[in-house]
Amino acid sequence: MIDSVLHAWVAFFKPLGLNYSFVQDPGELSAFGHGLLVTLQLCAWTIPVSLLFGVLIAAALTSGRPWLARPLQGFVEVTRNTPTLVQLYCAFLVLNMLITQKLGGGNPITPFAWVVIVVALHKGVFHAEALRAGIEAVPQVTMEAARSLAFSRRQILTQVQLPLAVRFALPALVNNLVDLVKMTAIASAIAVGDVTYESIMIWSHRDNVLELLLLILLYFGLLTWLVSVAGRWLEDRLRMPGYGQ
Amino acid sequence: MSIIDISPLVSLRDVHLAFGDTEVLKGIDVEVKQGQAVSIIGPSGSGKSTILRCITGLLRPQRGMIQVGDVRVDGLKTESDFIALRKRVGFVFQQYNLFPHLSVLENLVISPIKVGGQPRAQAEARARELLAKVRMDHKERAYPGELSGGQQQRVAIARALTLQPELILFDEVTSALDPEMVGEVLTVIRDLVQDGLTCMLVTHEMRFAEEVSDTVYFTEAGRIVESGPPSRIFGSPQSERTRAFLQRSSGAAVARQSSPDPIASYLTFDPLRLAV
Amino acid sequence: MANDLALQAGRAQASGRFLPALLRDPWFGLLLALVALGVVWAATGTTPAAVQALWHWSPALLRGLGMNIQISVLAMALGTLVGLVVGALSLSPSRLLRRLTRAYVLLFRNAPILVLVYFTTYVFPFEVNLAGWYLPFPDWIKVVIGLGLPASANVAEIFRGAIQSIPSAQWEAAQSLAFKRTQIFRMIVLPQCVRRMLPSWMNLMASITMSTSLASLVGVHDLVDTATVASNTVARSDFTILVYFTLLALFFAYCYPIARWTRYLERRHEHY
Repeated sequence: MIDSVLHAWVAFFKPLGLNYSFVQDPGELSAFGHGLLVTLQLCAWTIPVSLLFGVLIAAALTSGRPWLARPLQGFVEVTRNTPTLVQLYCAFLVLNMLITQKLGGGNPITPFAWVVIVVALHKGVFHAEALRAGIEAVPQVTMEAARSLAFSRRQILTQVQLPLAVRFALPALVNNLVDLVKMTAIASAIAVGDVTYESIMIWSHRDNVLELLLLILLYFGLLTWLVSVAGRWLEDRLRMPGYGQ
Repeated sequence: MSIIDISPLVSLRDVHLAFGDTEVLKGIDVEVKQGQAVSIIGPSGSGKSTILRCITGLLRPQRGMIQVGDVRVDGLKTESDFIALRKRVGFVFQQYNLFPHLSVLENLVISPIKVGGQPRAQAEARARELLAKVRMDHKERAYPGELSGGQQQRVAIARALTLQPELILFDEVTSALDPEMVGEVLTVIRDLVQDGLTCMLVTHEMRFAEEVSDTVYFTEAGRIVESGPPSRIFGSPQSERTRAFLQRSSGAAVARQSSPDPIASYLTFDPLRLAV
Repeated sequence: MANDLALQAGRAQASGRFLPALLRDPWFGLLLALVALGVVWAATGTTPAAVQALWHWSPALLRGLGMNIQISVLAMALGTLVGLVVGALSLSPSRLLRRLTRAYVLLFRNAPILVLVYFTTYVFPFEVNLAGWYLPFPDWIKVVIGLGLPASANVAEIFRGAIQSIPSAQWEAAQSLAFKRTQIFRMIVLPQCVRRMLPSWMNLMASITMSTSLASLVGVHDLVDTATVASNTVARSDFTILVYFTLLALFFAYCYPIARWTRYLERRHEHY
């Protein structure tokens, strides 16, 4: 049944000059399928981790504690002004090597984990900038009102500042997440088997680069579309009645 | 008449406060007895709001004594000390009191639940009682953005009462309101004063201050110029400056002092500011 | 004990003079410290072996950086030209044109840049036949096109946003003064648009510059590729660490001042 679908697919595209015969090779097909799954897993991990980093960094930057905020601000500037690929290399080729040397072999951090950490940190920094703008936009008096209600600093952050900051930053956060999905493609640079990497493996001996790139584009288009849809749904749910947009 | 001299609930002695190089309070003495309503009047920038903020520790004076009940506010150090104090003192601000992402009922129950540790059912029951008292019970599901200024202030007052404070402070609560809404808020305050709640009001509403207060303080340039019963301050003020101020304020419409809503402006998302 | 309410007075205004601000900047201080360290090493002859190797490789590394800068400048130039055209077309009265430009922008903004770079590198031929002349089509130019495409899509969006942010009252006022549409565009709308577009355009420039590092994955001899080659050649772990962090430092030294200048421009033009 699946075979006939794949056969029809190959037959459909052949007259257009596109060679999809790789799908009829079980080994290559399953490798490609695995690549699709790995990309999905990368997104599934990096999205929440980057948001967590974003909240933590934003909280630290607005905490009013200079010993925490200033070094972190330095880290933020470095992360924003250097390429993610270079950050990934530094993390994987340098830090990973150092950790392996220290531990003498059993390094628990896999290349997959490094991609998640580096990409999540990179985007987390952008999330933090957006959230920080949101936190600072909360009216001073509303903060005083919260303090007058005997809230602790932590309660003010979680009950007042963050809910309002998230609503403000939501469009920027969703934009960042769309970027993040696209950024997972650099996993292929350190041989993590995402869809880009598997495609490179296939096209390097089948020479059907265009066909595979079209599939990849469609897949990423689908993933980014899902993220935008989720973002719009969230925007609707978090809408504050009375501040109509 | 009691033989025992009841010590005041709130007392400030020789309070000095400066922001950087600017001295805002230059030796303030205030006394509020339990059950009294005290009004503080004066021109803008005279330090009235600063006095209120010192009482709950939102601002710290450089010098002077502040006492609320048995607590020396100027001696408090840790956050938990201040939290304990703020459970006993309610505060209503000029605007942006309410949390815009929560409904009216949620705004009222959030503090008793998170700070007072009360169960939700109990907090909601009390919240509804208070909303009925300020005549906003029909709006419990509404959000602050959907309410008028006067309605928001009434809800803010109800919220300040949820922790059953011994003292409640009003910081120019009607100054940002359109004239037709001022009355509904003043009615609520009048009811609270008549119920015997200790109140301190910073206000520009002179007739209201005269009507409800037991004592009136007139401040100018960081000092208390004159204080006493309303009949004296408004009827036969002793100081020339008090007279001048009262003359300026009577007749002239109270200046609307509302600042633009930062929340509404920040929600208009500018696509050009997208991080690419 | 400090007051809980931070007053505006506490927030220091940026001083008017550039030089004192530069001297007080912690990053500049770090740079000076590194230079001082280098001078000390050179003077006393105690330079560590890894640093000596780095010094030996620095001309190659800087040539690589030059390649990255070259690619980014050309990609932004291409992207800006194409993007302005696409942006202008996206506001055309023709529904077909609007749909086409929208599809263009959607495609190139949602595609991973790496995929676009692979696309232009592998799909384009390695040489071009022009009237009998075989011209080599070098990889780095393919990367320029690969980066120019998403750049153009973003420029189109920025341009469209800038034009739409000009209040219609200005159009109406100009029309009532009997200006032609092209005149209005040229003399009133465009100058304002340029100012509004500038910060976003500069953000895009920084982003494209950082994306040029992807060129190393398709065999272009850029900075990242040179660093990898150097690391493999010298084959010392301390040199590897040093060269990769030098990569970070070089990109940072190029991109951070641009980012600061962008923020300065944003602040200055806030009221536009």
